[in-house]
Amino acid sequence: MSENGRIQEAINRVGKERNIANYSALEALLDDHPNASLESIRVSIARNFTVEPLIPIVKGEFARCGLLADIYLGDYDVVASEILNKDSGLYGHNPQVLLIANWLEGISKVLTTEYLSSSANDIDREIKRVVNEIEGFISVFRTNSNAPVLINNFPLIDAPTLGILNAQLESGHTAAILKLNKELLGRLKTIPDVFIVDYFSIFAKVGINQGYDERYWHIARAPLKREMLLALGIEYAKYIRALKGKGKKCLVLDCDNTLWGGVIGEDGIHGIKLGTSHPGSGFRAFQTEILNLYNRGVLLALCSKNNEEDVLEVLDKHPDMILRRDHIAAWQINWNDKASNLSRLAEKLNIGIDSFVFADDNAFECEWVESQLPQVAVVHLQGDSSSFKRQIADNGFFDTLSFTEEDKKRSEMYISAAKSEELKNNSGSYDEYLRNLKLCAEIGAPSVTTIPRFSQLTQKTNQFNLTTFRYSEGDISRMLADPSYGVYCLKLQDRFTDLGLIGVAITKADEDVCKIDTFALSCRALGRGVEDAFMTYILEQAKLKGVKKVVGAYIPTKKNAQVADFYRKQGFKKMETREEVYCWEWNFEEKAPPLSPEWIELSLTTESK
Amino acid sequence: MSNELKLKEVFKNIFQIETSSINDETSVDTIEKWDSLKHLNLVLALEEAFNITFTEEESVEIMSYPLVKAVLGDHGISF
Repeated sequence: MSENGRIQEAINRVGKERNIANYSALEALLDDHPNASLESIRVSIARNFTVEPLIPIVKGEFARCGLLADIYLGDYDVVASEILNKDSGLYGHNPQVLLIANWLEGISKVLTTEYLSSSANDIDREIKRVVNEIEGFISVFRTNSNAPVLINNFPLIDAPTLGILNAQLESGHTAAILKLNKELLGRLKTIPDVFIVDYFSIFAKVGINQGYDERYWHIARAPLKREMLLALGIEYAKYIRALKGKGKKCLVLDCDNTLWGGVIGEDGIHGIKLGTSHPGSGFRAFQTEILNLYNRGVLLALCSKNNEEDVLEVLDKHPDMILRRDHIAAWQINWNDKASNLSRLAEKLNIGIDSFVFADDNAFECEWVESQLPQVAVVHLQGDSSSFKRQIADNGFFDTLSFTEEDKKRSEMYISAAKSEELKNNSGSYDEYLRNLKLCAEIGAPSVTTIPRFSQLTQKTNQFNLTTFRYSEGDISRMLADPSYGVYCLKLQDRFTDLGLIGVAITKADEDVCKIDTFALSCRALGRGVEDAFMTYILEQAKLKGVKKVVGAYIPTKKNAQVADFYRKQGFKKMETREEVYCWEWNFEEKAPPLSPEWIELSLTTESK
Repeated sequence: MSNELKLKEVFKNIFQIETSSINDETSVDTIEKWDSLKHLNLVLALEEAFNITFTEEESVEIMSYPLVKAVLGDHGISF
């Protein structure tokens, strides 16, 4: 078997059975084959406790997201010197992510072992000191590096000596930890791209007795038990998935024994289990969670072996369905194999099949899809329907680090895209169709409220993206403040819907030449000439700035082949002699910017720069 | 799976050695990768595989294959 095959097998084994032995075996394979076909990500870790047992699990969970963690692990308890010293190994690793792991007992005696002998004033002062210290380190790091920072908050660990009295006191230990965490969040929020890893909640979920290893805290300063190690590995991977644009976008669901109990083809609409009381209530609770995901911007699709009209009848008519036809962006309900149906859904929705999560109660279907489409995340729903919700939620497939207006509207937009597809079939000519759509584009610089969405688009857009440079919110703010950059976003409306912010571009002017650093559009906006209007605008802006040429680059990835020819189609000339990637050129001495498509009404926001 | 085999599988996964090479001579002195941090992983993996919890003393003293077997024996796992 090839090394990539062996690695994939080890990754699957970890997915099926999460245990230390499987993670260790996978780690050894990854360490031996640093050239495996996974995308590498450099991670520096600064810590004040023994995180080593966590490393195999972090590496394993990163590998499950398609990433190879290249880790620099700072020495034990030297967080300050590593971060304050620009020549430290931490910076030498040139991290793409910094992970800070702090154990409270290592930072503050007052808030841990000496809590009872401290006065309320001491404790307040100590909370401020700890928060100041952490904020100080991260501020210094931020001046030296733009890498996102993941830092944990603090769990409740010790059984308070006060016992039941603890809960009665405003100055109790629990209250102090809660206050510490709250102040930490408030202060760190002001530094761009710093994210809290919620040890507090994860410990609560796992349970302190299951999560905290007092033995190993004393023997090796390693305070985490197996259950907590596994939970944290998964948790860190969620952040990386969100930061690296590896998040999933679409949940594809089976119907029988997944959305409802029983088989619609046999039991009929009145026979299936679905309702407000047991046994149908578990399925209804599951549907409620799915609706939450829909409201968060996750696309929903159905893939079921059934007669289409039977399933649609349930969606339209069953009184206890939470999910309705309008929530479903696309479906494949037929008797074909599910892997083919998933491929068909990916085409219909125009998104990558690797952004799919497929959930089914049938082991055979799950294994079939896994074997045919290893890039799809498969959840085999097992056991009681009441646990389905957790089986989806625990994975954090759809987690993001921001929640934008566009996220809320996304599912609706895909559904109205399906409606405009209909209009396309009814309109005579394509031109007529475009005119009927009544497209309005608005171009301008992003504002404080749209920077998160701007950053998200650079991180999540894979297909219509010429360079796939990923930028954080902090990066965008810095570029906005630098006059040599042009930062543009495009909002689009048609007669059916407001698609929101769907295009981003960044240019960098350098004397006579303006470079197009980033040009990306959300796929749902394509095929309407929006990209032409956007490019025309960028060329016009560049010309206004007085440059002679605009140059662009196409950097190929596995997914952006559709824009390989983009610059040629736009009328750029390829400079064969130019060695660098910015080989597509528009020379204003030879030709003026093109005309914008007449069917798009263009408006400019005033703050545009 | 016999307890012996189960134990060897743990050693194999943690230290990346062949199960056939594991015998009563196997110890922290003969396995290159057996350092203090791998030792932590070994303890975690053993506790997981045999569903037991070592005491502090036990987890520090299991520095060879025979010692691991002996301590597991104290937890009622026979070889």
